[in-house]
Amino acid sequence: MITGVPLSWYLILGAALFCVGVYGLLANRNLIIIMMSIELMLNAVVLNLVAFARFMEPARITGKAFAIIVYATAAAEAALGLALTIAIWRTEDTVTIEEIDLLQG
Amino acid sequence: MFAGQVVFLIIACLMLGAAVRVVTSRRIFHAALWLIGSFFCVAVIYMLLESPFMAGIQLFIYIGGIAVLTVIAIMVTKGGMHPDSHTLGNGWSAAIVSISLFIVMAWTITQLGFPNEPGMPVAEEGLALLGAALVDPGGYLVPFEVVSVMLMVVLIGSLYLGRER
Repeated sequence: MITGVPLSWYLILGAALFCVGVYGLLANRNLIIIMMSIELMLNAVVLNLVAFARFMEPARITGKAFAIIVYATAAAEAALGLALTIAIWRTEDTVTIEEIDLLQG
Repeated sequence: MFAGQVVFLIIACLMLGAAVRVVTSRRIFHAALWLIGSFFCVAVIYMLLESPFMAGIQLFIYIGGIAVLTVIAIMVTKGGMHPDSHTLGNGWSAAIVSISLFIVMAWTITQLGFPNEPGMPVAEEGLALLGAALVDPGGYLVPFEVVSVMLMVVLIGSLYLGRER
């Protein structure tokens, strides 16, 4: 199947998705939305890995093996981040980053 | 213009629109639903890349796992108490930072001259090769085991952090 989509289109799409994640990370103050932005950025990275695996690599194993390991890391990050969010909610009664001052920073 | 390009452009617009709604949505629950839509569009892009296995685990892990976990966290924390004003005042500077980052990355990508077509067709036994490489000591056995131990540690740590006190 020849889709006719060049590799650079996939890479630019991944870059755009990553930048949307960066914007969400910088502009929001709710911890859960910040977690979602990090998930978007990780998804952009995996999109790049799969695109490179399709276009640049004859055996097409390395990119997907990396992608699977990034998936496991993303799942671990989501579980740990949301557990932290719930723990902060229990102690501070808020998930707004400006109001979390447990460390008195 | 190939049909694949049209499909790619439509899916890309849907994905970026959903992602923008995730980071700008006023209600956090709506942001979680747009996040699911964005993940689904990424799975369709994997199908365009002829990687149905990656599309499947995108659906299972991201939509079935991470997005559901996010929805549960939103329900537990009542959406974070501030439904109307969860953005910082620095929205414009954040937009400038991310747009200039995108311009730099897009310019670099267009300058590098990547191939327009994949070099060879999809190997029939690609999935079997991937599975063998993940348990091959000369392949990716060590990172695979390390990441499984890390998942175990993280899940036990999450249970510890989220327990009832």
